[in-house]
Amino acid sequence: MWRSAFAEPSMPKDPETAGQQDAPHTLIPFLQSQSQTALTRLYTRPSSCLAIFRLLGPIERQIVMSLLWLEGPIASQTLNGWVTKEGRKPYGTALDTLSKIQILPNPGTRMLLNPNFKASFRMALTGGGDLNSFGVPYVSSKEKDAERDGAGDKKFGPNSEHLDSYALERWETILHYMVSSGTDSTPQRPSAGVLYLLQRSGLMQPLPSPSGYSTASSRKTSQLQISSLGFQFLLHTPHEQLWELLLQYLKMVEERQMDLVEVLNFLFMLSTMDLGREYSPDNLTQTQLVMLEDLRDYGLIWQRKSSSKRFSPTRLATTLTSSTPLLPSSGGGNTGPQGFIILETNYRLYAYTDNPLQIAVLNLFVHLKSRYPNLVVGSITRDSVRKALNNGIRADQIISYLVTHAHPQMRRNNPLLPVTVQDQIRLWELEKNRLKSADGYLYTNFAAQADYQVVLDYAKQIGVVLWENSVKRCFFASAEGHSNIRGFIERRSKDEQM
Amino acid sequence: MSHLSLLLDLQPAAWHDPTQSLQFSTFLAHILVFLNAHLAQKHENSLAIFGAFPGKSIMLYSSIDQTKPADRRVQPDPNWYQPFKTLDAALTERIREEMPQPSTSSEAEELPVALVGALAKALCCKIIQATKVEAPSDTPVVMPESRILIVSVSPDAAASYIPLMNSIFSAQKLKVVIDVCKIYGPDTTFLQQAAYLTGGSYIRVEKHESLLQYLMMCFLQPPSVRSLLAVPTTDRVDFRAACFCHKDIIDAGYVCSVCLSSGSDCF
Repeated sequence: MWRSAFAEPSMPKDPETAGQQDAPHTLIPFLQSQSQTALTRLYTRPSSCLAIFRLLGPIERQIVMSLLWLEGPIASQTLNGWVTKEGRKPYGTALDTLSKIQILPNPGTRMLLNPNFKASFRMALTGGGDLNSFGVPYVSSKEKDAERDGAGDKKFGPNSEHLDSYALERWETILHYMVSSGTDSTPQRPSAGVLYLLQRSGLMQPLPSPSGYSTASSRKTSQLQISSLGFQFLLHTPHEQLWELLLQYLKMVEERQMDLVEVLNFLFMLSTMDLGREYSPDNLTQTQLVMLEDLRDYGLIWQRKSSSKRFSPTRLATTLTSSTPLLPSSGGGNTGPQGFIILETNYRLYAYTDNPLQIAVLNLFVHLKSRYPNLVVGSITRDSVRKALNNGIRADQIISYLVTHAHPQMRRNNPLLPVTVQDQIRLWELEKNRLKSADGYLYTNFAAQADYQVVLDYAKQIGVVLWENSVKRCFFASAEGHSNIRGFIERRSKDEQM
Repeated sequence: MSHLSLLLDLQPAAWHDPTQSLQFSTFLAHILVFLNAHLAQKHENSLAIFGAFPGKSIMLYSSIDQTKPADRRVQPDPNWYQPFKTLDAALTERIREEMPQPSTSSEAEELPVALVGALAKALCCKIIQATKVEAPSDTPVVMPESRILIVSVSPDAAASYIPLMNSIFSAQKLKVVIDVCKIYGPDTTFLQQAAYLTGGSYIRVEKHESLLQYLMMCFLQPPSVRSLLAVPTTDRVDFRAACFCHKDIIDAGYVCSVCLSSGSDCF
């Protein structure tokens, strides 16, 4: 699941797309919805500024950098002069984003960065201050030091391989639980906190009637079943999955009476920490100590014991603000770091994996036929794809999953996946979407073609026409346009009477 | 992700001149902040710094080459992002070690700085990086956008015309953009040509106290962003070549029809 989620290039090939290359990070809209005071408080920490800066798009980053070292405001025309003709649109969106998250308030008139952000971000780049926002390293007592020196490479706490395998195990437990819910297999259950989060985010839902399942009735805990959102979630890249869960976590924060700014600060602090180093929780607030426990369940933090006086961030945490969370290969480990799926034009699919999670995910849309120690063979059929579509998965998601996890040998093909299979999956989706329903009104019985045409033109102008037939002189418009159209017709008939 | 190779022209004579408005320590501080800003842009951004000293060129720092345990020696600081601290500590230490004192030997000073050597090393690093990435074959891996920034303080060294031209051509082949930031000294014809031919920009810093602002606005963005946020380019480029035998820059000369070498009256 983890291995080559980002092997697919996401770099812009031509500069045209450079501005739009990545849609804004999922966290940015969330930040936009926060109050100005919360954001201002957030910007007092250098590590938060650095992390948020990294989540911004390339143009936004450049604007921030250009303005960072200016003391006074500059006229917006000055910076406008730097924008090329192609850059106008992305530049406008970038300014909009920056003003919404209060980094650059009022970009229309004069440009001046938020003073808090400016001061903290400068501090992040030059070092200094005494906010300890990048995490206080754990310093052991002297005797421990001596003992560790003898131990050589253990000097810096758990090594990164150990952290990686821990993070991976945690994360796969969550995903595996999701994917195998509703089936008879009973994988290891993640902790209650994780289950609650999954349920709140709508990725999983309680079974409608627990008695329907023999396993459920025998168990006391409520049984959860994966929702259609959850199915889509499984096919996302690990990075997106992680942020989706964290975002949900942030949304729950207020219910739990936690301070959002502290929560965000802690997340951003983790993202700027050094992998394989131990940190001391002494400087953390009460809220952050609670988070420590939650994030341990998600695999973002490692602690020797839950009562331990130190913690280490795992790679999941330290790559939060990067776009390549490259946890090394998982589970069995005999599949390479690249993809593992071979898809043939005859719809047969060979997956070189022994990872139960990957097999379970494939099982969502592939009809699996046989299984060998390192290989699963199946085929993509109409039924298997329809099952996935009914679960709420989209054809594009299936295709992008196959592309991301394609075996290196597949990468010689151009296009990567057989066109027939791709088209067929899309056709199966279309088959399902043949009917589209919309609420609205049908306008008919126009006396003259001219009347019909005038009203139709008006309706088109306000953009509510869904269907038209000029021979029968009728058209169908959506419900929200009805009052306008009625008013228009009434006005016209009045005018004609006069 | 993007890779930046920074070439520092560390000509002791220019930097130890007390009459200059920009002191070396201030200059270094500006450069360090600029480098931090580059690393801050993206988690994956990488960096290599080369120093051109009189007669030799040295790689001062590379964020790719993590074989040295040096960065572990640096004590973590809760108030500073660790990679920044590592970089700053390593670079200042290396420069202090390598920077020759101006008065130590007069003959070393007469040597021109080995800017071309540093440039060639930077390009070699790029090639090594490229081959390393290709090693696991098949998977299409994103090559980092690569660019070279030359911070120059010394005048043209006409003797290095041919190797410099060769470096420019290989940079063109590797699609590496060369930017030039001229701080002191007369405009250098050859570096202007280097920037022009590789699509970079050649900028002369007029106000030394705002060097950082120049660096931030003109040299920070990777080439892909430059098509959207333009960077000033030079409109007047001095295209004169050097005579192959006397190494002088010439306005008009002769070109050998066989080997295309150019020369003045000596032909």
